[in-house]
Amino acid sequence: MFRHLRTLQQVSRRTLSSTARRQLENKVPHKQKMFQEDNGMPVHLKGGTTDALLYRATMALTVFGCGYVLYALIDAALPKKKD
Amino acid sequence: MAHQAHAYHMVDPSPWPLTGAIAALLMTSGLAIWFHFHSTVLMTLGLILLLLTMYQWWRDIIREGTFQGHHTPPVQKGLRYGMILFITSEVFFFLGFFWAFYHSSLAPTPELGGCWPPTGITPLDPFEVPLLNTAVLLASGVTVTWAHHSIMEGERKQAIQSLTLTILLGLYFTALQATEYYEAPFTIADGVYGSTFFVATGFHGLHVIIGSTFLAVCLLRQVQYHFTSEHHFGFEAAAWYWHFVDVVWLFLYVSIYWWGS
Repeated sequence: MFRHLRTLQQVSRRTLSSTARRQLENKVPHKQKMFQEDNGMPVHLKGGTTDALLYRATMALTVFGCGYVLYALIDAALPKKKD
Repeated sequence: MAHQAHAYHMVDPSPWPLTGAIAALLMTSGLAIWFHFHSTVLMTLGLILLLLTMYQWWRDIIREGTFQGHHTPPVQKGLRYGMILFITSEVFFFLGFFWAFYHSSLAPTPELGGCWPPTGITPLDPFEVPLLNTAVLLASGVTVTWAHHSIMEGERKQAIQSLTLTILLGLYFTALQATEYYEAPFTIADGVYGSTFFVATGFHGLHVIIGSTFLAVCLLRQVQYHFTSEHHFGFEAAAWYWHFVDVVWLFLYVSIYWWGS
């Protein structure tokens, strides 16, 4: 009997809160379909345009960073002439 | 399309190990540049690159496991071994700091006054905020176990509630420790007492923040239906890490706060 009361409690809670919760539907099946599509894309780019943008930004910072660190360390290693 | 005839995961080529390595280079060189030339540009660049790498690398692992199904039982076993080995390495990391503490405190030198705590140091009362901190972390160990059982039993709402409570307790611990740091009558520069206290508790605090972040990611994933009652290793890894953080605190509390006062 208590189990029925609990189920009632849960169902009523679910009904009342379902409007607020509508955006939290389970998107996992959709994502599974998207990421299992046989389009030859590697996983780090398979999500779409945002992936590509984020990858490019990261790689740009990496390349720039490499150059900058070489400059900074060589500059730090060279003796500075004092006037 | 070719299908693999084994249960293991042959990963797609990924740029994140490279970007992560460059981030490490930038952070370490940046530290040196900051110390000698007062510029934080390089170090900040390294930190940004590190955050970008971590976000994208772990995002890809979620995709590979939850969306592509690559985390078969043998693969999951490997991930479990990996997490256990990582936590073991962290245990040894903390062991070093405990060694340093006991080295100095078991045989206090004449420069310290031949006693521990050293002359002039007023230690924190272990039965005030530090005891509260102990209760907070122990409680969080209970709530994270509650969360685990909720996930295993398919109780979605309870899992979300208990996981949220665990994170809140972690944040509460961090806030309390921050005020303790601010109010402490001694600093890191106060001899070997200050050094051992703040380095050991400081690294612990960092691990609490890391653990809370890991749990927060798990909360987001739980809300998004990533975890099933049979397969939720990401959460288990976070829970193991959290228990480790809790145990380190217990050792810190008994050794530094209690015995050390």
